[in-house]
Amino acid sequence: MASLTTSTPIALNKPFESRKSQPVKVPFLSFAWKPSAVELRLNRGVLIRPVAAAPDKIEDKVVESIKQAEEACAGNPVSGECVAAWDEVEELSAAASHARDKQKSTDALETFCKDNPETEECRTYDN
Amino acid sequence: MAVCTVHPTQSLNPTCSISKPSSFFGHSPRQLVFLASPACNSSTIPRGRDGVLRVTCSSGDTIVIGLAADSGCGKSTFMRRLTSVFGGAAEPPKGGNPDSNTLISDTTTVICLDDYHSLDRTGRKEKGVTALDPRANDFDLMYEQVKALKEGKAVDKPIYNHVTGLLDPPELIKPPKILVIEGLHPMFDPRVRELLDFSIYLDISNEVKFAWKIQRDMAERGHSLESIKASIEARKPDFDAYIDPQKQYADAVIEVLPTQLIPDDNEGKVLRVRLIMKEGVQYFKPVYLFDEGSTISWVPCGRKLTCSYPGIKFAYGPDSYFGHEVSVLEMDGQFDRLDELIYVESHLSNISTKFYGEITQQMLKHSDFPGSNNGTGLFQTIVGLKIRDLFEQITEAKAGASLQAAKA
Repeated sequence: MASLTTSTPIALNKPFESRKSQPVKVPFLSFAWKPSAVELRLNRGVLIRPVAAAPDKIEDKVVESIKQAEEACAGNPVSGECVAAWDEVEELSAAASHARDKQKSTDALETFCKDNPETEECRTYDN
Repeated sequence: MAVCTVHPTQSLNPTCSISKPSSFFGHSPRQLVFLASPACNSSTIPRGRDGVLRVTCSSGDTIVIGLAADSGCGKSTFMRRLTSVFGGAAEPPKGGNPDSNTLISDTTTVICLDDYHSLDRTGRKEKGVTALDPRANDFDLMYEQVKALKEGKAVDKPIYNHVTGLLDPPELIKPPKILVIEGLHPMFDPRVRELLDFSIYLDISNEVKFAWKIQRDMAERGHSLESIKASIEARKPDFDAYIDPQKQYADAVIEVLPTQLIPDDNEGKVLRVRLIMKEGVQYFKPVYLFDEGSTISWVPCGRKLTCSYPGIKFAYGPDSYFGHEVSVLEMDGQFDRLDELIYVESHLSNISTKFYGEITQQMLKHSDFPGSNNGTGLFQTIVGLKIRDLFEQITEAKAGASLQAAKA
C-alpha cells in the first residue's frame, strides 16, 4: 500500500488540491481516491472509478459531515452516533482551519526554493 | 561515562552497549570513537544507505512536557511559541508523510497524541464514541513509546491523518532533548502522567470557546451558529467526563475567561487570563508580582503609562486549586503598545528570562499569532521560559549526578 507523492515543481504543486494518490480502501463510507490525470499515468492504466466519490477537499468534507450529523441527531439527540457525528464535524472544522492557515502562509515559489535552492528561479544575488 | 544508544527501532540486546567517553553536557560531539561491548554484533547495528554507521547520541535525559488542550492538535499557537523560546522553527519532518502531526526543531519534538487513536474516524462512528473517549485511544502504546523516547530510544509512531481520518503507516521519531506531547489525554493515564516532567492544561471557558469557534468556523461553508453550538454541546459530556478532570494534575493551568473590564461583553476579544501555578513542583518557581505570597491587585495604567480602553488589570495571590496550594497570576485586558508590554515585564518576578525584555521580544517576534496582545500570549511565553529554565535545571542536575558517579 504505497502512497506516492508527486514532487513536480511549481505548476503542479498547488496548495489547494492534495496531489497524493491514496491507498484504495474499501470500508463502508468513503472511497478516498479520485483518479486524475497525474494519478492515471502513474497507475499504468489501471482505472478504478469510485461509485460514490467522497469529497476530496476538506471544506466539502465539513459540509457533508454537518449534514450527516444533523441527520444522525434528528433521530436521537443523545445517542452515541449523534455525539460521534458532531465530534467528526469538530475534527474536520479544525483540520479545515489549519489547512486555511497553512495556505495563507505558503507561497508556491518559496516552498519550491526551500527544497531546490540551486535552480535558476531560486538563485539569489547578493553583490 | 555516558551511555549512548544507537537509533535502530528494534530494542538493542541489553548487554550490547556502545559507550563514549564522558563529555560535558550541552556540547554534543557527534564524531567519537565508540567502544562496542563484545555482545554487540555489528550486524545488529543498521547502516545507512551509503554503508556508513550513523549514531546520534542522546544521553537519555529527554524531558517530557505534557500539554492538554481541546480540539485536537496541529500547528497550534502555544506550540509555536514554545518551540520559538527554545530557538529554531519547528517544522513537520521532511520527506515524510505530509499529513504528519509531528513538529521537529533542533531541540524539541512535538508529538500529537491523536496519533495514538486506536479507532479511526470510521471506527469511532461505528462504535458511537468521540475522540475524547478513552476507548478511542491506545494508552498502552502511548505509555510504551513515551517511555522509550524518554530513555533515549527511537520509536515508530503511528500517524493519525486528520484529513482522511485514517491511521497512516508509522514514522520514525528520534528522542529529542525536549519532548512535548500535546493532545486531549496527556495526563489521563497515570503511567504517562508519571513520565511527565511538567504538565500544562489550557482551560478555555465555555463562552470564550464558543466565541473562538464562531470566529474559526463562520468562514466555513455549511456552518451556522446552530451547528457550531450543537457541536460544542454534543461534545460537552465527554469533555467534562474525560478531559476536564486532567486539570487537577497539571503543574500549570492557563485559564481563559471573558473579561471583567467591559460589562456585558460577548465578543470575546478582550480576555481575562489566569495562570494557575502549582506550588512545590521541583525545578519550577511560580511567577509573582511584587511580593511572593501576598495578594496584589495592580493597574499599571496611570501616570507613568497611558493605556487605551479597556486598559490592563493584574492580580496575583495564593489560592487553593483542587486541594493543592497554588499561586495565581491574572491579567485582564489588552496590550496596545510595546511600552505597555515592557513596563509589565519589568515588574514581574521569577520569569526566568535570560535578559531584560526577553518576553517582550518573544511576543513581538510572533505578533501575528492570536493572543499576542493579551494574557494568553503573555502567559504562554512565560510558561515557555519556565520550561526552558526547568530543562536547564534538570540537565544540570543530571550532569552533576553523573560527574559524582564518575568520581565515585
